[in-house]
Amino acid sequence: MAANPSQATRAEAPSTGRPSTLAQYRTLLAKDLRQEFRTREMLTSMGIYALLVLVVFGAALAQSARGFDILQVSGGLIWALIVFTSLLGLNRSFSHEKEEGSLEGILLVPLDRSVIFLSKATSNLLFLAVVEIITLPLFYFFFLTGETPSSTFWMTVGPLAVGTIGITGIGTLLATITMNTRGKDVLLAVLFIPLTYPLLYACTAATTVAVLGGDIGGAYVPALALAAGYDVVMLLVSWLLYDYVVSA
Amino acid sequence: MTETTTKTTTKTSSLDRLAIPLIIVGALLTTTAFVLAFTLAPLVMGAEVDTPALIGGKMVANKLLLSQKIFYFHMPVAVTSFVALLFTAIYGVLFLAKRERRYDLNAKVATEVALVFILMTMVSGELWTRYEWGVWWVWEPRLTTYFILMLLIIGYFILRGAIDDAERRATYASVFGIIAFIDVPICFLITRMVPSSVHPVIFRTDSGLPPPMLIPLLIALFGMFCIAFGLYRTRLREQRLRERLTALKESLED
Amino acid sequence: MDPILAEIYSTVMTAAPFVIGAYALMWLVLLVYLLMTALGLKRTEKQIAALEESLAQKR
Repeated sequence: MAANPSQATRAEAPSTGRPSTLAQYRTLLAKDLRQEFRTREMLTSMGIYALLVLVVFGAALAQSARGFDILQVSGGLIWALIVFTSLLGLNRSFSHEKEEGSLEGILLVPLDRSVIFLSKATSNLLFLAVVEIITLPLFYFFFLTGETPSSTFWMTVGPLAVGTIGITGIGTLLATITMNTRGKDVLLAVLFIPLTYPLLYACTAATTVAVLGGDIGGAYVPALALAAGYDVVMLLVSWLLYDYVVSA
Repeated sequence: MTETTTKTTTKTSSLDRLAIPLIIVGALLTTTAFVLAFTLAPLVMGAEVDTPALIGGKMVANKLLLSQKIFYFHMPVAVTSFVALLFTAIYGVLFLAKRERRYDLNAKVATEVALVFILMTMVSGELWTRYEWGVWWVWEPRLTTYFILMLLIIGYFILRGAIDDAERRATYASVFGIIAFIDVPICFLITRMVPSSVHPVIFRTDSGLPPPMLIPLLIALFGMFCIAFGLYRTRLREQRLRERLTALKESLED
Repeated sequence: MDPILAEIYSTVMTAAPFVIGAYALMWLVLLVYLLMTALGLKRTEKQIAALEESLAQKR
């Protein structure tokens, strides 16, 4: 933390003496990533949690009939996995700032508050993306190796990207809110799950269409557009309101 | 300290004096709408029957549905909850812009009224669902988005309860009230985006309802607005008085 | 009754409890909130009056 201001001033912004917004963003993001490289807390905890959710899915589906078509529910299962895993990650995303009081330090630096939002959302996005890259092949390995998904299976990348961006955007704002409340873990879930529901619904719809190979133009694209629209609105509002939240 | 608080709270604004009459007007209007819904508005047609019959000089070839009568209150109540939430968002924005405590109180009370009307919508919708579909719950888009809205509003109050610092509570609640409001247009527009046979599109340029059905609906809507506003002002007065009470208690302890 | 008319009106009687229930429950929710507000208002006003009196006596 102590290295940050000096590093920030070293960055290129000669005329004003203040580092440019981009430099501030990069510094804050680098801080989070460096911390993660050192401790690997987020990735290990989220990864193991995701694995455990897969085990729970296995138990939940173990008694299903032999003819049970897992492909029909796999889109939903993938999103349940992502939502629960991201909740864990978001809950911890501000734990360092809280423990070390470093957020107050960052707030003392004259920087645009939305830069904090963007950098934090980016680091959350990166962590969640890495965990997804590790666990989704595992999901395939555990549940889908006996099945033959449609040739449009690769299109699940679309909803995954859009959904992950939205989840981390909304989640970062809500994690900042719940950071300073009593019973913050539960509260984050209480606020986060209903708020992301439309996104979750649209992404699950698009993922399921992609897995089953349904009507791409009539179902996949509208669902993805809906999710993307929700992303844009939510990210915009979160970005605008973040200043109030983080300074409160 | 006491003087300022007494000065701000003892003056009853004209809106406060209007509260009780408004509730009474609303009660009268909704009662009228209730009566009209069962007298003026015809029963809607359901499934076709094999042989038509002559009822009151008209040929009727369909089953007549009484369950649709729930709609005359269900929809006005739902619209009222949307309007109340709009006020939550507006007061949230006002609080963030001006940092005055009273806006937070306004937002809180508006959300409370919204929750009451959301509960009313859910209850009436549930009974309709139970009768027409034979199940208590279906994950139908409008139903689900509205249910999500209810969860968001409950979350709003849980959030308020979890923060001790008044300033911070007001800020967070305002922000969350604004974000939660985003679900309202989604819920409102979802029947246009994902067509479902259950929830008709009422607000459009070519009105889908014949006048005998539209009149009770609009009277009920207006009556519900009156009741909601009356309740809002009354509750607001109670909350202000309670704040004054705590201020008085504090000054007494000093 | 005429069987055709009986068929036309077949859902009316069975739906009645649900319609009545829906309206009754809506009113109940509204009434509970109204009562809560009214009682709270009355209680607060009473407490304020008592407090103001004791405050005046202290001075």
